[in-house]
Amino acid sequence: MKFSIYRYNPEADQKPYMQDYKLTDNELEPGMMLLAALLKIKEQDETLSFRRSCQEGVCGSDGMNINGRNGLACVTPLNSLKEPITVRPLPGMPVVRDLVVDMENFYRQYRDVRPYLILKDPEPEVELRQTPQQRERLDGLYECILCSCCSAACPSNWWNPDKFLGPAALLQAARFIEDSRDQATEERLEQLDDAYKLFRCHSIMNCVQVCPKGLNPTQAIGKIKSRMLKKSI
Amino acid sequence: MSGGLQGFNAWLLQRITAVLLVFASLALLLLMFCPPGPGFNDWQDWVGRPLTVIFMVVFVIALIAHAWVGMRDVIVDYVHPHGLRLLALSVLGVYLLGNLVWLLWILL
Repeated sequence: MKFSIYRYNPEADQKPYMQDYKLTDNELEPGMMLLAALLKIKEQDETLSFRRSCQEGVCGSDGMNINGRNGLACVTPLNSLKEPITVRPLPGMPVVRDLVVDMENFYRQYRDVRPYLILKDPEPEVELRQTPQQRERLDGLYECILCSCCSAACPSNWWNPDKFLGPAALLQAARFIEDSRDQATEERLEQLDDAYKLFRCHSIMNCVQVCPKGLNPTQAIGKIKSRMLKKSI
Repeated sequence: MSGGLQGFNAWLLQRITAVLLVFASLALLLLMFCPPGPGFNDWQDWVGRPLTVIFMVVFVIALIAHAWVGMRDVIVDYVHPHGLRLLALSVLGVYLLGNLVWLLWILL
């Protein structure tokens, strides 16, 4: 099986290049995921760098661009991919080395939406309760693992990464706006109401296409807009 | 940028003018099914009918507002240097405003 992998070591290389690797049939196992293949390749060439941790689509470490589409290597079956399998770092993010990208701006966007419950009343002695219906409103929002596949696939985020918040952070914004226990809904809506933070989204829906957890950030952004609409009437 | 017309307000205006454009276009198309006659004067009369004028004015105002918000979005997306963006927005603004005045001049 043939692979073409993006290589770049800023300390040694003038510019990035693509390097070809091969795995023989007896190195492959049925049902093998791309991450397992990358680990095999790393046995051939230990200078190849990439992030990974849980290896089962929960930690969100191994987001990368696989045959032109962002995804998690650990949940992408090899037999679903056309050869040569081209692997690049997530687009639009600064490369630290090979497939490892600098996530700082992504985390800054995440911090900007204040992704935690904000209470104005004194904290209660017991847990904050929700009805099953209130809890249901968080379905499709809380499952995000922050792998950044969506934000790195979003053209609006490529053009304005410093001011637009990107699909992942906006999904988190929706998650706390929809939360019945949160008491800063108004402030959250006001914060998002400018030309850039939310409204650079033009419903391109690349985020929906690539999310490895099957989430729908475009719909979450729609929920925020309809909240704004309700607030304005 | 342009005062209160950004973020949610601009987005809402975009949606409202889109709906207005659909209705006004359909109304004008329907009005064309009551043909005014073959000659130039017949068409001039048709354009002068109150119903036609009302829908044309709605159409023109909605179109200009819709184009302003939409084109401004494109410019804000892609044109980043401040001077160049100001120039692009000014050209767009003057062009659209000129069109608005000109079209209303013809219609009213």
